[in-house]
Amino acid sequence: MAVQTPPSAVRRRVLGGGRWIPYAFVTPFVLVFLTFMLAPIVIALVNGLYSSQSSGLGFGGAETVFVGLRNYTRAFADADFLVSFGRVALYGLVQVPVMMVIAAVMALLFDSALVRARRFFQFAVFLPYAVPGVIAALLWGFFYQPSVSPLVQGLRAIDIDTDLLAPGTVLWSVANVSIWSNAGINMIILFSALQSLPRDTFEAARLDGAGELRIALNLKLPMIAPAVLLTTLSTVIGTLQLFNEPQVLQSITPNISSDWTPNMAIYAVSTLGRDPHLGSAMAVILGLVTLVVSLVLVRFTNSSSRGGAR
Amino acid sequence: MDAKALSRHRVRRWTALLTTGFVALAGLTACSSADGGETAAGGAPADGQVEIDFWGWVPGLEDLVETWNAENPDIQVSFHRMTGDDGQKVEAAVDAGTGPDLVQLSTHDLPDYVINGRVQDITEYVAEHESNYTAQSWASVSFDGRVYGVPQGIGPSGMMYRTDILEEHGIPVPTTWDEYLEAARALQAADPDVYIANLSPGEIGQWVQEVQQAEGSWFGIDSDAWTVGINDEASKLVAERWQTLLDEDLVTTELMWTPEYWARVNAGDIATISYAAWFPTALAENAADTSGDWRVAAMPTNAGSDNQGDSGGAAVVVLDGAESAAAAAEFASWLNGSDETQEALITEGGLFPSTVNGLDSPALVEEQEFFGGQAINEVFIESAENTPATWTEGPNWGTAQTAVLDEFAEVVGGSQTFAEALDNAQAATVADLEARGLTVNE
Repeated sequence: MAVQTPPSAVRRRVLGGGRWIPYAFVTPFVLVFLTFMLAPIVIALVNGLYSSQSSGLGFGGAETVFVGLRNYTRAFADADFLVSFGRVALYGLVQVPVMMVIAAVMALLFDSALVRARRFFQFAVFLPYAVPGVIAALLWGFFYQPSVSPLVQGLRAIDIDTDLLAPGTVLWSVANVSIWSNAGINMIILFSALQSLPRDTFEAARLDGAGELRIALNLKLPMIAPAVLLTTLSTVIGTLQLFNEPQVLQSITPNISSDWTPNMAIYAVSTLGRDPHLGSAMAVILGLVTLVVSLVLVRFTNSSSRGGAR
Repeated sequence: MDAKALSRHRVRRWTALLTTGFVALAGLTACSSADGGETAAGGAPADGQVEIDFWGWVPGLEDLVETWNAENPDIQVSFHRMTGDDGQKVEAAVDAGTGPDLVQLSTHDLPDYVINGRVQDITEYVAEHESNYTAQSWASVSFDGRVYGVPQGIGPSGMMYRTDILEEHGIPVPTTWDEYLEAARALQAADPDVYIANLSPGEIGQWVQEVQQAEGSWFGIDSDAWTVGINDEASKLVAERWQTLLDEDLVTTELMWTPEYWARVNAGDIATISYAAWFPTALAENAADTSGDWRVAAMPTNAGSDNQGDSGGAAVVVLDGAESAAAAAEFASWLNGSDETQEALITEGGLFPSTVNGLDSPALVEEQEFFGGQAINEVFIESAENTPATWTEGPNWGTAQTAVLDEFAEVVGGSQTFAEALDNAQAATVADLEARGLTVNE
């Protein structure tokens, strides 16, 4: 009869010769990280320093040559590319606060006892997040086109003539799609943070005579500050990376140019303009801007919350 | 999103380097490159049979490929219908070595493919068929005396018009652009809801056909240098025309192909559409309720000229990396030029032929119910005969087109004029050519 090895012996034997085990567990992550995160960044950096060059009429073929920072000077000389940063900044200044206020108000409402049929409404608010961004933009695209939109036609029936795709309004029509899509997920994150707070604090506040509004604004909100920062940060980054919604809406309105946002400009240069080298340089610039904005935001929130504690 | 900005060609190469030795990841890349590489990887079977991978978009190609395969057991073609952004995938696929053997391509894009070595010189296989193609279509696939594709259809212009609307208001069918402007004014005066045309700021073909009609060209070759003519005299003439129509609010400005556009066409807001010979099929499909109300006439002409225009044609090209170029070219020649295929290409494919036997095909002049029983292609045949051979394709069509359309959007939005738009697009296109190292004569 075979003697069964005691479990403790197995553990000892594996552990004894198995210093490599933790590495084995992290290897898949490291490999995927290197391949899909680090490598693309390195490739973009390298690609951005090269350019495909022909001569004369070009029918002699093209070769890839090192051009130093020339792609970067071209990117910075492209007024439309720079304007696209201003456009997403303006967009973000409005869209981020609106999104955060909507998400926070809803999370606080769901957390209070004020809302009936809470599960249903939570589901309803979250549902748009499950709709892929491109589909969401297509759906809203129908609401924005006068001849096929019940929305615009309804407004016209009560004598309000709106053009939701005009040069001045299209930015906010895009913001609307993105808020509709993403408010739900931000609400869920804030709501779960609220749910994990200790209830007795609020009980004590209530006994001291604080109303629900006071509790929400002065107690709950400060206590979930880290979750608010996280959602704000991801919304800001999402703003800088804006692509899906305007790219889809571009097919129904001329008022979204091919380089309307930084990401669209990169796409236009590398795909339509067939210059992936310039596109790489532009992508690196966008990456750096995103990094700086994120760092500034984190630094700003840290110092202001420290100031608040003092 | 960063990855999007990179040429996949380089990504693949670098990925391959980084993952050498990592069995797991090598497996992953193999998976991702299997797409489209099936036949390439399969290679030629032992009995000498050749397999050709063909991507195209013309309706009805499936049946033609089947016919060929039944008749040619030695050269078997597998067809992939191009949809969505497949056109943009072709370049990356060719660079990665996983592209198809044959692809349908707009002739506007061909010079860029030639310069970057993505198509093969097939002169030796197709030169014998030259006499079956119109001179202009053959010129559109030839560079420096070498042939890089087999022409597949052209886009001669015509004007589709609502005969019921014009008759209702007693407006004669305009034959010149001067009459067109008068008709536009008369129509608006008679019914403020009806416009003579829609000026789509996203439809480059409509612009190109009128530039060509005025004997202009975006590109030209001056000995060993490119010239760029996006703001040439011909373009300025076209710009002036549409600026007037726009300034007097005589046109709608919807983007073509949108639900909004078709809603307005169906509602009878738009009285004329000037576009290529393949457009009537699209019109009949998207405005079925207006059947019988439309007719086709020649596009209005410029003073003192019978010229018509062409918005651009297509070609089937043998891509770099195709192992059996001869077989691929043989199939392409059969598909586009044989007597067997002309009728199907015209009736099912909706193509306007660039072949002599196609132009002679009785199928071309069939009467069409949607157009009140008119044999509309008679108009387009005459149009093709009156198209001047002044247009030259250039090396950065993508950049030029994007620049022009972005600028046109601002014209329609009211923040600049067509003349300014053309100057801006001209500057952007010249700068792009120079950045590529090409010689430009300004």
